[in-house]
Amino acid sequence: MSVFTRTQKEREPVLLAELSALVAHHRAHCPPYDRILAAEGFTTASAVAELPWLPVRLFKHLVLKSIPDDAVFKVLTSSGTTGEVSRIHLDKQAAATQTRQLGATLRTVLGDKRLPMLLVDSRGILTDRRSFSARGAGVLGMATFGRDHVWALDPEGRPDLEAVRGFLARHGDAPFLIFGFTYLVWLHLYEVARDAGLDLSNGILIHSGGWKKLVDRAVPPAEFRRRLAADVGLSRVHNFYGMVEQIGTIFLEGPSGGSLYCPDFADVVIRDPHTWAEQPTGEPGLIEVVSTLPTSYPGNVLLTEDLGVVHGVDDGDWPGKRFSVLGRLPRAEARGCSDTYRSGRAA
Amino acid sequence: MRFRFGEPGDVTEPSHERLAVGDERVVDFLARFARRLLSPAVARQHPELGSLGYFLRPAELARAVARMRHDDALVFPRGNVFHVPPANVDTIFVYSWALSALAGNHNVVRISERSAAAADVVLEALHATEADPVIGRTQRMVTYGRDDAVTAALSAWCDLRVIWGGDTAVDTIRAHPLRPSARDLTFPDRTSWAVLSVPGWRVADRAARRAAVLGFANDAYWFDQAACSSPRTVFLVGPRPDGVADEFLTLLGEAVAEKGWSVDAAMAVEKRVHAYGLAATGAATGLRHAGNAVTGLTLSGVSAAPRRWIGAGAFPFAAVESLTDLVPAMTRQDQTVSHFGFTPDELRAFAVALGGRGVDRIVPFGSALTFSAIWDGYDLPREFTRLTTVKT
Repeated sequence: MSVFTRTQKEREPVLLAELSALVAHHRAHCPPYDRILAAEGFTTASAVAELPWLPVRLFKHLVLKSIPDDAVFKVLTSSGTTGEVSRIHLDKQAAATQTRQLGATLRTVLGDKRLPMLLVDSRGILTDRRSFSARGAGVLGMATFGRDHVWALDPEGRPDLEAVRGFLARHGDAPFLIFGFTYLVWLHLYEVARDAGLDLSNGILIHSGGWKKLVDRAVPPAEFRRRLAADVGLSRVHNFYGMVEQIGTIFLEGPSGGSLYCPDFADVVIRDPHTWAEQPTGEPGLIEVVSTLPTSYPGNVLLTEDLGVVHGVDDGDWPGKRFSVLGRLPRAEARGCSDTYRSGRAA
Repeated sequence: MRFRFGEPGDVTEPSHERLAVGDERVVDFLARFARRLLSPAVARQHPELGSLGYFLRPAELARAVARMRHDDALVFPRGNVFHVPPANVDTIFVYSWALSALAGNHNVVRISERSAAAADVVLEALHATEADPVIGRTQRMVTYGRDDAVTAALSAWCDLRVIWGGDTAVDTIRAHPLRPSARDLTFPDRTSWAVLSVPGWRVADRAARRAAVLGFANDAYWFDQAACSSPRTVFLVGPRPDGVADEFLTLLGEAVAEKGWSVDAAMAVEKRVHAYGLAATGAATGLRHAGNAVTGLTLSGVSAAPRRWIGAGAFPFAAVESLTDLVPAMTRQDQTVSHFGFTPDELRAFAVALGGRGVDRIVPFGSALTFSAIWDGYDLPREFTRLTTVKT
């Protein structure tokens, strides 16, 4: 059963009711969250776009959770490039829900059976628990949706052509799953497979992690898809957008490519970064991600620091909004007499 | 090492050039340089350079030299001065260098690799200014990367090291020893405040209130509220402050819009992160957004006033009965208190009650960023000179 079923008109009232209830729940169980909403004077919302949002970075500064300490089952941390990390608290139920909904979302493109899986990463990222990061968590989380896993990179992070050849010899004749971060897929799978003449036409690629490193190599998303299909036969390609602060919710690229879609339990709102009003279709702005999954911490409505644009509503592969991520919000130029400024804005 | 101004060469080599306190060659050079900064083209593009030009006009230079004189001693340059200005306020390095040059010192100014556009304009103006050759041989501005050897050599060379840029910069540079006779002049992290008299506000007419808010806006927004002297928290002083903060914020929103200042998206997000952080801990009990550029926060009390930067255009408000109620909250870290609506006696009494334990400057709204020869509690012309006594 797909999780991409609800039109925007069907989705809105359901989300508004569930999210309003969650806002009340988090206010009752997370005093800092309640104080923020009280200071903002929030009472009720009559549309999803009116729900109170938290900057996603707040989870790097504050412990925000709606469960008692002894109910904490798992604490997820984001990859921190400056030492600051988000800390996301899950209880057993929230952890189970996020895994279940992530699975339901992926089944839309993978089908109901577990597929043999090629991980475009190195086993090494799992061994050092201290540096265990979003990348490690992402790989580990995704690994549960495949079987007979093979790592495409050796422990030093170099392409392991023999491992990939071996995987294809065993599983290349039927559908198989490929997962990896976008730039790793490009550099360490696509280029290697192309040069070695490998056939990946039965593969279904799920990838994420942003385009920044590829932009430097002038590889836009459309080119990425085109060349994967043309050079190694990989035509079932799904980018996704997600973050540890809203774990379990991924916005998945539809089969025809070019747009991300919201599962039924989630939505996006694009905001004008000056007026904070919702942007109309076609106008870029900051991406707010909305999901009913966060029940153990007040992460239902988060303002990201990514820019995006909604291309259309109910007019694509799947119902609901379809959108693109345009990149990170550029950091402001630092001014000021002293380094207090920098310490205040480390991110 | 890249020479941005002055003759290239080994800057730490002993020099036989001698400049006097208030040396005519320096005065001439600075006066010509000031005229360039005051040209309409420069002032329009970089208003902060206009302020600098104003600071360096001949009458001001004469006043600074007069301040260096001493009745009981002969006054000489301190010697070699090494300046380490902050990267991100474009003009500070010129103020401290110019005063030091006026005192006749040999100067080396380290200009950050991250220096902004106005710094380039300053350097262009310096190059374009006609100068006696002695200027280039004694006044050098250089850029070098994270090279500890150079910093160490300059530290060993100088008689006075001037370190701007906050606690971290001071601690980092101080790792390099000075000669036993040398000393540091440091400008560490500072916090600045605004005080608004509630009775003074009530008796002011609308035009006076608008003028006050405009001055405050200049103080706050010029450097994204991140200059050390920019006001961070506004204290409302006096009985029944109801409605004052709201009116102030509304006027501020208008002033900021009129000036065309905006807070960019990253700053606006930053501001929410910090404001919500204050709300989450209970330090702020109310938030009010007057457009994107102005955010008012109601503090739960004076002690909740944040000392760290919380974002461009975020203004916490706290109410107190009288200025003296603020005295216990002020510390050595506090630099500028900008004021509106108080009598001179009230302000003087406040300063006396502070007793030098905190707050170096008490200035009217609109003057918080105006550099002065007395800064951070130092009489800079005195710091840049040394005294010789002769008894016969």
